[in-house]
Amino acid sequence: MSENRKQNEKPVNIAIVGLGGQGVITLAKLIASTSFGLGKKVCFNEMHGLSQRGGSVQSFIRINEANNPIFAAEDVDLVIGMEKLETIRYLYLAKKAQPKVIMTNKYDIRSTHDLGLVVFPDEDEIDKEIARYSSEVYLFDALGYEENFKGKFKPLNVPVFAILTTFPELGLPEKESKDLVLDYLGRNMFIRQINKKAFEEGPKWLKKLEESS
Amino acid sequence: MEYRFNLNNRIMKELKMTVDKDLKKTTKNTETKLLMGNRAVVQGLLEAKVGLTTAYPGTPSTEIQMQLYRLSKEGQLFFEFSVNEKVALEIAGAAAMSGVRSAVIMKHVGMNVASDPLMALAYFGVLGGMVIIIVDDPGCLSSQNEQDSRFWGKFAHLPILEPSTSQEVKDTIVKAYELSEKHNMIFFVRLTNYTALNTSEVEMTVVDEKLGKNGQFVKDVKYLIPARYIYHKELHGKLHAISQDPTFQAFNELKFSDSTSDKLVITQGAIYPMVEYARNYAGVDVPILKIGAIHPFSEKHIVKLLKKFKYVYFIEELETYVEDEISSIIGKYNLDIKVFGKNKLGIPQENRILPDLLLHPFKLIASDPDDPQTWDFKLPESSPYPQVFNRDGLLIPRTLPRLCDGCSHRGAFHSIKQAVKADYIVPSDIGCYALGQVSPVEVGDYWLCMGASIGTAIGQSLVNKKPVIAIIGDGTFFHAGIPPLIDAVLYDHNITVAILNNRLTAMTGGQPSPSSTEKIAKNQNEIDIEQLVRGIGVKWVKSVSVENVQENTKLLKEAIEYEGPAVMIFSGNCVVELLRHDFDLGQAPYVDQEVCIYCGICYIDFSCPSIIKKDGKIEIREETCTACNICVDVCPHDAIIPRKK
Repeated sequence: MSENRKQNEKPVNIAIVGLGGQGVITLAKLIASTSFGLGKKVCFNEMHGLSQRGGSVQSFIRINEANNPIFAAEDVDLVIGMEKLETIRYLYLAKKAQPKVIMTNKYDIRSTHDLGLVVFPDEDEIDKEIARYSSEVYLFDALGYEENFKGKFKPLNVPVFAILTTFPELGLPEKESKDLVLDYLGRNMFIRQINKKAFEEGPKWLKKLEESS
Repeated sequence: MEYRFNLNNRIMKELKMTVDKDLKKTTKNTETKLLMGNRAVVQGLLEAKVGLTTAYPGTPSTEIQMQLYRLSKEGQLFFEFSVNEKVALEIAGAAAMSGVRSAVIMKHVGMNVASDPLMALAYFGVLGGMVIIIVDDPGCLSSQNEQDSRFWGKFAHLPILEPSTSQEVKDTIVKAYELSEKHNMIFFVRLTNYTALNTSEVEMTVVDEKLGKNGQFVKDVKYLIPARYIYHKELHGKLHAISQDPTFQAFNELKFSDSTSDKLVITQGAIYPMVEYARNYAGVDVPILKIGAIHPFSEKHIVKLLKKFKYVYFIEELETYVEDEISSIIGKYNLDIKVFGKNKLGIPQENRILPDLLLHPFKLIASDPDDPQTWDFKLPESSPYPQVFNRDGLLIPRTLPRLCDGCSHRGAFHSIKQAVKADYIVPSDIGCYALGQVSPVEVGDYWLCMGASIGTAIGQSLVNKKPVIAIIGDGTFFHAGIPPLIDAVLYDHNITVAILNNRLTAMTGGQPSPSSTEKIAKNQNEIDIEQLVRGIGVKWVKSVSVENVQENTKLLKEAIEYEGPAVMIFSGNCVVELLRHDFDLGQAPYVDQEVCIYCGICYIDFSCPSIIKKDGKIEIREETCTACNICVDVCPHDAIIPRKK
């Protein structure tokens, strides 16, 4: 390992959870590449089975740690939930941690719910539960963002990545992060434009949930 | 015997000279990069100058194969997606017999298929280095079982190395080739979904030269004689020699050796970083012995390592392999050591290991092992695994995967559903179409292993008085479905086989299959399934397109009524593959609300995720619809109207 990487800083443990196709792994790559580019140690993993087909996907990232990306549930600092049900599924594990939570308001209820095969909890039930595990919850209004975002392709991970740059403890500077998104996800001008706009839009749709709600 | 080894060495030297001449000038650039374990495997193969690589697609090893596939297209080395793991191993084995460094890449269950040639090839030994890279899937995230590949080492008499991090993966592979050639043995390098899918930094040498595959087969009487037990004996000798090799022993490493504790934790390479994390998180000052050389063990080396400890604790994923091996050494040498196995520590013997599972064991390790109260505990009831259904009264349903929006299999499933009704047996197979078993599609009664749908269909047809329809994809059919179909023709078994042909190995992310068209895999001959099936002698064969759902239903009913083997080939496109080439696949069809009578056939039976219920009406979600237009023929009332492309 190269010596110039910063040593002895406390690791920041991030869990990204969501569904296949939401860009969970790409988001992890963006965070890791930015941190790595800034000279930090970083590692991440991906856990997926049938991800491409809407299955459950998770990625754990640790900044300031070189080798082991997986951490104990009570050691989590930040949970990024791309979908509500997946968020609550993983928050349940955070027994003592009281992690910071960034959550989208996407809630993927399947046709199986309508058929009565599987019962999904109500959205406010989930919100109440999340408040039990964390007092610091930020909601990214993904539905509002998508409704206002023109065009067929509406990236979900890029605006969330933009939001992360507004949290100083993660140490992701806005400019470098944006450049990386455009380099990394900008294969052609069309996609580049979309991602640029998505990056700029992201933070506008974020609000902190008050404890009473 | 001595003579032959000398001969081998001479040939190797000559070969190396010719190979070296082929290579371009080597540039020695080093760089540090973030690499996934699977990509580190490829980097290791490049640095070891491996010229010939083969594989059959299988998650979690797919990233290795896709990267090699790309490199082979650029002409850097030879790679092929072989028709199955057995063929892949035979090709690479022959190359190594002729002095060329080769690699075979597969997932754990692939080794079951490839084991037949391996068991005898191990007796032959190899002249060029050969490494089998095998990726296990503890937790069955994308597999039919979670077998522990460490047992292959003992069974086939071959060494196994198990790296922990991406850096180690790369370095281990380079060393494995050196050791493989030094001892003329095939090596296993075992990864798990933890090592394979973790990304961490790797210091590496950039390799941009073309890697040659020029070999030279030397005839040898040892390949011919029937008394092979001689080479079995020789193999035992080689294993002993390798266990004494310091380079090999160095893979077993005592970490935190400056600790003064008389306790020792022993673990395996694949989960070492997690164990180290749990040790530090729990704050227990105890050294850890990392076993990176899984097989064979040098008894003396282990005894030397264990000498100063009084208590030994085992932490392992899946079976108690290292525990059993080392415990037997402790017993054999009468060491005064108390052993605590993983079961005693409350670590499950199934599913993957997560750090949460190790926190309680480390509390136990920190406690007094001679106090019986330490061992009087009940495991906490909550599980660290994400499959949590029920918590504090709030039910969290499991997130199940489903067929993609616009998946062509859904059309075939709808025809099968309409033709089959309830009283039939439907064995399914390994591939995307296994998702047809998930509610609400529910086509398929079980899946076992590659090709088993046809074989078990024959068995079911013999003992059940019900029609049997086997479902199998094109890749799986070529892999292991042809022999059972020959059996069906040979004895005129009364089965129907539905081959779902999307001309792609789709489940693993879109690798070419033998029926791939030129668009997907250039420089490959397409094999026509219909011709092949007719060639075997199946008399009732129909090739259809999935969109004609109603027509196909009628044909399928005919096939079921036919006495003897009948094969129906459903052709359609993998929508994910289409989307790789084209973002916009066309305009979604729409529902004519005046004609729609809300019968639910499209919404419930066909169950495309793009068909939704909104304000009591059936609608098609334009953002996600891929315009496959299969639903148009599904609707019995003609209420779904296609739009022009």
